[in-house]
Amino acid sequence: MNLVDELLAEQQNMKAAAGTFADWHDSHDTPALEKYYRNLIPLTKPGSGEQYAFQVDLDVCSSCKACVSACHNLNGLDDHETWRDVGLLYGIGTDEPAVQTVTTACHHCADPGCLNGCPVMAYDKDPETGIVRHLDDQCIGCQYCILKCPYDVPKYSKKKGIVRKCDMCHSRLSAGEAPACVQACPNEAIQIVKVTREEIEARAKETRRLVAGAFDSSYTLPSTRYLSNRVDGEKLRPADAYKIHLEHTHWPLVIMLTLTQAAVGMTVVESFHRSFGLGNSWEWLTALAVFHLGLIASILHLGQPLKAWRVFLGLRTSWLSREVIGFGMLPPILLTVSALDWLPMLERFRVFGAGIAAAGAFMGLLCVFCSVMVYADTRRPFWNLPRTAGKFFGSTLVAGLAGSQIFQPSTMAYAILCIALVVKIAGELAFLRHARAGEWSPDKKSALAILGPLRGVLIGRLALAVTGAALCGNVSLTAVGAMCILFGELAERYLFFRAVTAPKMPGGI
Amino acid sequence: MKPLADFMEPLLRAWTGPLTSELVQTPGKFGLGRVPERLKPDATVHSVCGYCSTGCSLKVHLRDGEAINLSTNADYPVNIGMACPKGWEALTPLTAPDRGVTPLVRDKGRTQPVDWEAALRVFVSRVRDVQTRHGKESVAFLSTGQIATEEMAFLGVLAKFGMGMLHGDGNTRQCMATAVTAYKQSFGFDAPPFTYQDFEESDVLVFVGSNLCIAHPIMWQRVLRNRNNPEIIVIDPRRTETAMNSTQHVALRPKTDLTLLYGLANLLIRMGAVKREFVDVSTTGFDAFAEFVAGYTPEKVSETTGLEIAQLEKVAGIIATGKRVSFWWTMGVNQGHEATRTAQAIINIALMTSNIGRPGTGANSVTGQCNAMGSRLFSNTTGLLGGHDFLNPEHRAKVAGVLGIDEALVPTQNSLAYDQIVAGIESGRIKALWIIATNTAHSWIHQNSFRELRKKLEFLVVQDMFYSTETAEMADLYLPAAAWGEKDGTFINSERRIGRIRQVSKAPGIALSDFRIFRLIADAWGCGEMFKEWTSPEAVFRVMQKISVGQPCDFSGIEGYEMLEREGGMQWPLPPGAKPEKQRRLFEDGKFYHPDQKAKFLFESPRPIAEETCANYPFVLLTGRGTSSQWHTQTRTGKSDVLRKLYPKECYVEMHPEDAAKLAIGENRRVIVRSRRGKLTATAFLTATVSRGQVFIPMHYATTNQLTYADFDPYSRQPSYKYCAVSIERADG
Repeated sequence: MNLVDELLAEQQNMKAAAGTFADWHDSHDTPALEKYYRNLIPLTKPGSGEQYAFQVDLDVCSSCKACVSACHNLNGLDDHETWRDVGLLYGIGTDEPAVQTVTTACHHCADPGCLNGCPVMAYDKDPETGIVRHLDDQCIGCQYCILKCPYDVPKYSKKKGIVRKCDMCHSRLSAGEAPACVQACPNEAIQIVKVTREEIEARAKETRRLVAGAFDSSYTLPSTRYLSNRVDGEKLRPADAYKIHLEHTHWPLVIMLTLTQAAVGMTVVESFHRSFGLGNSWEWLTALAVFHLGLIASILHLGQPLKAWRVFLGLRTSWLSREVIGFGMLPPILLTVSALDWLPMLERFRVFGAGIAAAGAFMGLLCVFCSVMVYADTRRPFWNLPRTAGKFFGSTLVAGLAGSQIFQPSTMAYAILCIALVVKIAGELAFLRHARAGEWSPDKKSALAILGPLRGVLIGRLALAVTGAALCGNVSLTAVGAMCILFGELAERYLFFRAVTAPKMPGGI
Repeated sequence: MKPLADFMEPLLRAWTGPLTSELVQTPGKFGLGRVPERLKPDATVHSVCGYCSTGCSLKVHLRDGEAINLSTNADYPVNIGMACPKGWEALTPLTAPDRGVTPLVRDKGRTQPVDWEAALRVFVSRVRDVQTRHGKESVAFLSTGQIATEEMAFLGVLAKFGMGMLHGDGNTRQCMATAVTAYKQSFGFDAPPFTYQDFEESDVLVFVGSNLCIAHPIMWQRVLRNRNNPEIIVIDPRRTETAMNSTQHVALRPKTDLTLLYGLANLLIRMGAVKREFVDVSTTGFDAFAEFVAGYTPEKVSETTGLEIAQLEKVAGIIATGKRVSFWWTMGVNQGHEATRTAQAIINIALMTSNIGRPGTGANSVTGQCNAMGSRLFSNTTGLLGGHDFLNPEHRAKVAGVLGIDEALVPTQNSLAYDQIVAGIESGRIKALWIIATNTAHSWIHQNSFRELRKKLEFLVVQDMFYSTETAEMADLYLPAAAWGEKDGTFINSERRIGRIRQVSKAPGIALSDFRIFRLIADAWGCGEMFKEWTSPEAVFRVMQKISVGQPCDFSGIEGYEMLEREGGMQWPLPPGAKPEKQRRLFEDGKFYHPDQKAKFLFESPRPIAEETCANYPFVLLTGRGTSSQWHTQTRTGKSDVLRKLYPKECYVEMHPEDAAKLAIGENRRVIVRSRRGKLTATAFLTATVSRGQVFIPMHYATTNQLTYADFDPYSRQPSYKYCAVSIERADG
């Protein structure tokens, strides 16, 4: 064998390499690190009314970020997946220069937003430990928990089609071992402690937020406690406070919301017509088709659509659950109306058509209301109730009127369409004034996002609306006009998702 | 209702299943505690981390002999069960897609994969050709602090004694050449005196130009384990993470540290803090030093440094009353235009207050790279193997004797330093270059000039684990190297601890360890005979032990690799018969390595900065480590998704809010930073952690060193990365 071959063989021979001095004995059952973390976890399980919580001493955190990678390795997460994040707080102004790293994972809230929002009960707050666990095999991948959590905790895996998140290493804790992050912190900055719900509530009231820049604690009652005596928290701001970050588009949701609202709008206009005996069976059929296209789009949003049958489980607390159930009940009603319209054998029941249509339209409006609440319930300012309701019901009216112009053009309806469109767009544009606000706020960031990186979409949105309105006035071009208006609303909804400022823990530079 | 709910629950809620089982944990044994069932190891080994000089021991989880996961070694005396995120992610770069899997030869601008035989033919014929036409000395090598000591020794002996090269230096020139020179001149040998235990035993810790919290987080762990409620003095122009943790932040003007230290020495003398007995017995030159620093009055020092006199007095008072004062410095000192004298000014204070040789004391250089200390002793570049001297005939004879080679093969003159080799390319003196495991095209100061110089080289060989580094992409011949984790050997850490690195993974393709590449080259060159005993890293380790005999670093008492595994590494010196304790410091007997066994007080007047700010370039640019998750030019840390999440993606510049306001630069605005040598675009981050008139850019971004000014310390030839003049303007005009 020549030297090259010999050395190549040597390089690939792992037996020789690892065989020497390796620890082959599996006799060490006690974790070797136990002696270091013994005092960092409670000796006993939480008593009644108590739960486990993270306690982070910011004064000794040196910014090494080992907690993030230790969590990654010891939990065997995917390459890009991290359940712990770190961010930075910086001193405001010039008097007291300061920099403070903040490590953060799930706060195992007393009133978890994720759990309340989940439509399939894929979250469980363990009655003994208070740990908020995610049931990976229950998850349908709707990602609503991501929108609901004000701390950006659940992480979606496209590959797996589900979200996952920190479970406080519940399996380790139950075996008397410390969570990975606690084990790995060189400075003993992270501990597990026991707290009562009363303490969590009192702290939420007293300090309002976990750290500078974090969301109002009264929303979910996070259990984590950050200790800091070194710097005045009031004089800090997150390093990413001024960073414009575009959120995920969620295309299926953009399409679903726009189409279902357009369809509901058409049923409303059409049932109004029907109450005067002026029904148009083609218009209803079109609304039916548009509605179903929206539903198909929504299914594409799910990572695990086959598990979606459990969606009724969350009815008690989840607006998403209610929305989906509502959407599920609508098709039979809409179909019945069309069946009555089209099937000769049902002709004798046709008298009920107008009534059922009205019921369907009303039901549809309730669904739109549920859609509104899905977003308003996330407490994101850009999605607050009046704004979201204005947009969603506005789209319902505008697209519904535009759609019905195709089938039953009317000057009156056209006038209402134009006025509604002007009012809606005026509202959207008025929001942009926040860009000039002196104080930084989520609204200012949203407005800057629309005027900055999303400017092209905004211009497109306006152009489509104006063109659509103009074309709808021309009897031969109403179909094109209605499409323009629909796409204009689609663009509005795109901005709705991308420009929202999602609350989160402090991020990096 | 309850029974019904209980009955329905399992039907409706999936508590188990294939997705849940991915994360299910099980006792991992081997002292690991619970691990994911999927990643349960069947053996573990310990290996010292390949990033920084802290030298943490990592616990690699193996299955069928190959690494599947990694955690920390709970009982190693260095890191006591901890690691920073780079260590935790140490295995990730091994599987990066841009690993070199085969040698590449550039042919008419295109690179072609070739086998080792062909690569070796190209290497030998091209290098020989250049040497024939321009002389043997026209070929030089640039080495690294990132490979095993055994590999460094192999490279140094092969290049200089085998191939007849005269000039070779390492990237360690960029990080600790200053400490080497300062120690050599002051103590008589390059000997960082401390052990990490000293962090825990001090009652006063003084950090000069060191952001230990993020550059050496696991050393900071030791500071926090200090139970003496110590005073922590941080001397740094920026309010760094470490400064945040200080009890006294001394925010001096950049590069006025030498004046400050002389001023402190003067105050200490005035306060009567000099330990005369120690000074008389163990040092020389104190009286001249005292006379010299008398001119550094608090008023003068205050004016130069911008510090209040009260703070100077307070700091001096803390040092004077401290019982165990330790001084720690890193790149803020080493990378300066008068770095050696600055380091020696620190040493002087430690000497005069007798803060050396006792627990919790010392003038201590914290090194940068994982094996910078190995390179200092065995790279055979600017010093002869084992801390010997090329200029000393006895040393040459001794080394040649141990190696069994003709003494005439050992050069009788010193190598050029890194910057002089680069200058040699410019002047035509150097015609071919062999670069091993370093990214010169990114890291060298004033990097634009290096890119130009590439064109003047007739032949450039780059040996690296990645074919994609800025430097490898310029190469005529690329040799694919196995990485840390794919080879065996030893590293020496900052506290002189020799520790083991272990092969836990195969190398990709036909990549080979640097050790094996050197064996092949020696064989192809025709000097294989010289290395006939050098068949394994441990065999070379034994050769190095023999060379160390009689030197201050003598570690011939180490029984072999097995002992290093058993004892948790071993600090040098360990002469035969010495007691192998876990923590050992130098100079406990007050004897130094100069012939008179005394340490020297060395000093010199500060000299002006080479590129002062002016109307056109009104800001001082400071550079340094950005976060603990970034390493040097990011060729490895940039390959980990996890680490990438932990640092800012885009280049940013920290500037003071008032400076920004004057230039109408708002938060997060894009700005252009310009020096006389280049410009870059960055996002402005406004913070008072930098002072007015100063800006800070992390060194990891490829563009940073297009701005820096190539000034050098005259003794250590280390570049001054920490000061140059720049201007800032809004990118949108």
